[in-house]
Amino acid sequence: MTHLSPEQIVDVADGCADAALAAHARVCDGCRANVDAVLDAWRLAQSDPPPEPSPLFWPHLAARIGRDVRRTRVSVPFWRSWGWRLAPLGALAILVVAVAVGARMWPPASGSEGPAAGARPGAPAQAGAEPTAEGEPLDDPSWTLVSVLSADVSVEDAEASGVLPPPGGTDKALLQLDGEERAELARILREEIGARAALDPQDPGA
Amino acid sequence: MSTRADAWPAGGIQPDWTLTVVASTQDESGRILPFSELDDRRLVDACLGGAVEAFDVIVARHQRAVYQLCFRFVRRHEDAADLTQEVFLRAYRGLRRFRGDAAMATWLYRIGVNVCLNQVAARKAQELPLDDAPEVRAAGGDPASSLLKSEAGARVRAAVARLPPKQRATLILRVYQDLSHREIALALGTTVGAVKANFFHALVNLKKLLAGEAIEKP
Repeated sequence: MTHLSPEQIVDVADGCADAALAAHARVCDGCRANVDAVLDAWRLAQSDPPPEPSPLFWPHLAARIGRDVRRTRVSVPFWRSWGWRLAPLGALAILVVAVAVGARMWPPASGSEGPAAGARPGAPAQAGAEPTAEGEPLDDPSWTLVSVLSADVSVEDAEASGVLPPPGGTDKALLQLDGEERAELARILREEIGARAALDPQDPGA
Repeated sequence: MSTRADAWPAGGIQPDWTLTVVASTQDESGRILPFSELDDRRLVDACLGGAVEAFDVIVARHQRAVYQLCFRFVRRHEDAADLTQEVFLRAYRGLRRFRGDAAMATWLYRIGVNVCLNQVAARKAQELPLDDAPEVRAAGGDPASSLLKSEAGARVRAAVARLPPKQRATLILRVYQDLSHREIALALGTTVGAVKANFFHALVNLKKLLAGEAIEKP
């Protein structure tokens, strides 16, 4: 058997080596000398007692640290401290992305069944889709329009644009709009879509 | 309160997430627990939740061990106190990075070793003369034996201070802070094998230094 490595000598000195290593250390003069030297130095190191300041020192030190800590703030990511306050901004930004992507993906006008908005800028997207201020958000046509547009936006696109709000942020922001605000949002969206479709009504995806 | 994925019934659809919720500082019977009865992990959660008083408890629990670690590196009471303060301040600033996979003491030791080695490297404290005695008393014993112990201790301290940084850190954590090799590996960011090798060389070199021999610096 070869001589023990430094790690094995430490294991033997520590009493946690396996039986074969311990047996070798007992019969090999060189390895036994190394183990003895390690144990001797260990005992010498332990002869230095731990420092023990006055008992009054500990509350004094704790108070010093406490004062220092109270002048310091734990570093938290900026978005944690802003939280929901950024949600409306994030929602607005994602809506802009939705408009851009939606305008590209909007199906071209075909026959009398297609959305007239493509050929008539500023016209309502769907008949009878006028929002009411008192309507529930989920029944609101403007809400439906926003939902349809947002459905085409992939998470990757939104994340790549750096505007992804916290989960549920868009819903929360939109639910906080009153009827008039939703109607205004729908009007802006229709204008934007209509303007883009008017520029190139045959190829809105270009 | 915590819900773990492995607590779901066998055979069912198991989620691939783990939900951990720290609801409050109440125990199961609804009794409000003082910070002093919380474990370190929950104290950290309380700190991150804005309760700076929870950090006072962490300080009270660990300041002696951190101070003793720092003292072993710098050998001066005032410097050790300053470094202890610095260690806790860094820990507080970086509290978000404490994940609880290692003990709080191990995490503090890791910060402490870095702070102390930086300080020692900046000040070359290892070259302090032997008569630069510490301003703290050794624990216990009659005056005569205390003096002998103090002198022997000062020699050992001076020898430890002349060890290469990694060997010194390993020896201090193993001999004086009583950490296992695995805990030392976590604290120093290295492997258990490297810790054992460093410990071996630290002890061999310590013996040489105490015998007045020179050692080879890695």
